[in-house]
Amino acid sequence: MVKIKAVDIVKRFGKFTALRGISVDIRDGEFFTFLGPSGCGKTTFLRCIAGFEMVDQGRIYFDDEDITYLPAYKRNTGMVFQNYALWPHMTVYDNIAYGLKVRKVPKEEIDKKVKEVLKLVHLEGMEKRTPHQLSGGQQQRVALARALVINPRVLLLDEPLSNLDAKLRLEMRAELKRLQKQLGITTIYVTHDQEEAMSISDRMAVMDVGVIKQVGTPEEIYLRPKDPFVADFIGQGTFIHGQVLEEEDGRLVVELESGLGKVEAIPSDPTNKPRIGERVLIAIRPESFEVGVKDKLNLFDVSIYHVSFLGDRKRIQAEANGVKFIVELEPTVNVEIGKRIRISVPPKSTLAIRMG
Amino acid sequence: MKVPRPTIPTIDDLKRGLREIRWNLDIFVFIQLVVVLTIFILFLIVPLFRITFNAFIYGGSLSLRWFVEVFTDPYYFSPRIVFTETFPYIAVEGISGSLINVIKRPTDTGVETIILLVGYDLGVIPNTVLVAVMTTVFSTIIGFVFAFIFARYKFPGSEALRIILLAPLLSTPFVGAIGLKKMLTSEGVINTLFYDILGIMPFKIEPSGLMAVVLVQTLIFYPIIFLNAYTAIISIDPTMEEQAENLGASGFHLFRTVTLPLSLPGVEAGALLVFILSLEDLGTPIVFTGTNAEKVLTYQIFRRMFTPTGYISGEATALAMILLAMSIIIFLAIRKYVSLRRYAMLTKGGIWRPRTRKLSLKVSLLVYVVAFFTLFLALQPHIGVVLLAFAGEWGPTLLPGYFTLENFYTLFRDAAVFRSITNSLTYSITAMGLIIVLGVSAAYLVSRVKIPGIEALDALVTLPIAIPGIVIATGFFLLFLKTPLDPIINGAPLLIISYTVRKFPFTVRAVFAGFEQVDKALEESAINLGANRARVFFTIALPLVVLNILAGSMLSFIYSMSEVSTGIVIGDANHDTAPMTWKMYDILFKGLEGGLFVPAAMGFVLMTLQFIMIVGSNLLLRKRATALIGV
Repeated sequence: MVKIKAVDIVKRFGKFTALRGISVDIRDGEFFTFLGPSGCGKTTFLRCIAGFEMVDQGRIYFDDEDITYLPAYKRNTGMVFQNYALWPHMTVYDNIAYGLKVRKVPKEEIDKKVKEVLKLVHLEGMEKRTPHQLSGGQQQRVALARALVINPRVLLLDEPLSNLDAKLRLEMRAELKRLQKQLGITTIYVTHDQEEAMSISDRMAVMDVGVIKQVGTPEEIYLRPKDPFVADFIGQGTFIHGQVLEEEDGRLVVELESGLGKVEAIPSDPTNKPRIGERVLIAIRPESFEVGVKDKLNLFDVSIYHVSFLGDRKRIQAEANGVKFIVELEPTVNVEIGKRIRISVPPKSTLAIRMG
Repeated sequence: MKVPRPTIPTIDDLKRGLREIRWNLDIFVFIQLVVVLTIFILFLIVPLFRITFNAFIYGGSLSLRWFVEVFTDPYYFSPRIVFTETFPYIAVEGISGSLINVIKRPTDTGVETIILLVGYDLGVIPNTVLVAVMTTVFSTIIGFVFAFIFARYKFPGSEALRIILLAPLLSTPFVGAIGLKKMLTSEGVINTLFYDILGIMPFKIEPSGLMAVVLVQTLIFYPIIFLNAYTAIISIDPTMEEQAENLGASGFHLFRTVTLPLSLPGVEAGALLVFILSLEDLGTPIVFTGTNAEKVLTYQIFRRMFTPTGYISGEATALAMILLAMSIIIFLAIRKYVSLRRYAMLTKGGIWRPRTRKLSLKVSLLVYVVAFFTLFLALQPHIGVVLLAFAGEWGPTLLPGYFTLENFYTLFRDAAVFRSITNSLTYSITAMGLIIVLGVSAAYLVSRVKIPGIEALDALVTLPIAIPGIVIATGFFLLFLKTPLDPIINGAPLLIISYTVRKFPFTVRAVFAGFEQVDKALEESAINLGANRARVFFTIALPLVVLNILAGSMLSFIYSMSEVSTGIVIGDANHDTAPMTWKMYDILFKGLEGGLFVPAAMGFVLMTLQFIMIVGSNLLLRKRATALIGV
């Protein structure tokens, strides 16, 4: 198992720059996710780690070994591809044994290892099947077994769950996490599904147009977005621009645009506080709102234009001075379309995010 | 004042460039690249340069003399503009021949009228272009009309009829044309049947000379357009036409504004291919020697070099250059259209139910009549070959005097004939082996390796489609006389090389299509597990395209067997090592024993082989297409 370090990775495809200086440290045994919209460069970065793309600039290290220009077949990484990439002309056994045969492992040991890894992924006795005799979930497990059996330094997963149906996806997600913890293998996971990323990762990096916007634990990313893109991409929220008027005890007073008055907020990133006079984005998560007046601070009178019942809560879409609010309240709350209600939000849940 | 510094690549830039090349070019791929390039440069590019060199040298110095001579000689280029005393003061002279010639001939019962379709003679160079243009136009019309009918209408027997219409794709050198000649002369089957016996034609019709060449080529080549247009029309997304109908378009307006433009790219690519095939066709003009059919470029080059004394005139090489220039221009146009063609597929993938309609009884009957008439004409060569192959003797009657298997016994009994057949088999099988090794490598390189200039390799390996065989033969003679590959000592090496290079594109295309269908992740996952490129190539890539390789090499094999141009030129240099096509030519045109019948039997064997290989390769590819779905 290794720790991975990437320093200032740049990758161009012709005139298009896919990666614009990616630096990241991934810890030994960590489950690390790259999350971002399609085209953000997350898969390209994974392919650079695997050695399928040559970086134009920067360095990649596995522990202290510089592998930047090491050919892909010498890197000893185990990759699971989005469509599994099982070889249709080989049986499950031959698929899994391939990497061991390449490594000239003796026949008896191959037999033993294939058996072990099949047990690990709950596919005992499937050796003789061919890939097209397997269900999607089983193919997924074979691909995983094939990557794990060579005892790779890193496990690389490229949207491995995206081809499965919703129920199976949840099962495999738990399964993946269990295996990863059991084996203690450093794992890089790539996905565009934020819920998946939040639920599975130790830490994650949010990417957009070839740069990393923020690295952190799922909680940090959700509760303390450092960047307007991250705040918007992860979860839902109400976003209002404003200007910092003053700062007191770590609290900021922000004058909102659109004539919505002043709010008290906290800096989303305490290490990089907005300065007085600076333009900021105020972000409020839907579940942070409350009904009824408890304080004179952070009040909004909004008119409701859409209500959806989600079972455990009600989601309300409302509007004030042209700003859209997304509010989630108790399901028992009595709200109607067309009515005005007064909502408030505590300052600790009102995040001031520096612009770009 | 600041002087702008020129951007010199720094050591770092160079290092990075080198590293990028090393990254993409491992030793295995490098060897593949070097081998393919060496073969193509040595046996395709260098011979062409050798011809160019010869054509531009006169009396030991650089000169355009040969080209001037060719273009000022009325034999090669006859139309002359002259100024006259009277209106319009300008006229074109030097065009001989006429579209038709009417001959009245006394017979036992009276006088019969024969209408000879002759065609104008403008000199060798314009004739070549004119024949190609007419062949292309006629094949396009026939091919497109049939394609539209069969793609859009269903009627009883339409499937069977559609497949039979492709029969002319089975072509046999010389014999097909001879079969047709036999059928179409004033004593031939058609005139005998319709004029003498049924009496439904008021006169006899006989195509001759250049017009006969156009007719034969049209009947051989229209299936290429038919196939292209048919595929193009059935792959038009039906919602496109439905949308147009929804907006009020119908009938001919719909056809002209939507269907035709969408199918045109496919048809154009096919038409350009027919143009090249017509330009380089040597077999047909040879059959009609003695008429003005001789006055086309291929035959003229052939006649000037068919005396392998080692001397090839500058005139012949200048003619070869002109022919080469024509076909390369068309080839470049094809490459442009083939890439343009993709817009037809821009809409969406997947299989949809094509729009087909039922035909009314009346129209069905009309289609039957037209289709049967075309088929009757198109199948003349094949009917002719089959009848001749089994004929004992055949006078001016509808059918041969009696049928026999004697002609086929001769194939084994006559040592020279038998040797030519085994020669052809040996060369074609060897060439097929070479084609597989080189073709799979080339297809893999073009499809998988990302280095600058790899598109040029793609162009290079498809280029042989555009190089007329007679031009390659000329280049080989110029280059390899008095070398270890001298065709006078032994024709085998050069014939094998010629087959390899000329029939290479069929395999490359099929295998390339195979690689394009294989997900690159299948290979990457093997690399990821520690396999180097060579191992990935042999354990993953090859097994996944093996059916494409088989299908492609079957086509290459059969087209090698029936190759004419280089076969007869190189074959004539040493008769012991000559291939089957040379022997057919030899028997047919040197008045040897066996006459028409033995070559017809050889043609029949070729036709049977072709039929098996084409059907076989189609079956293989279709099976593969479904076998890979769902994995």
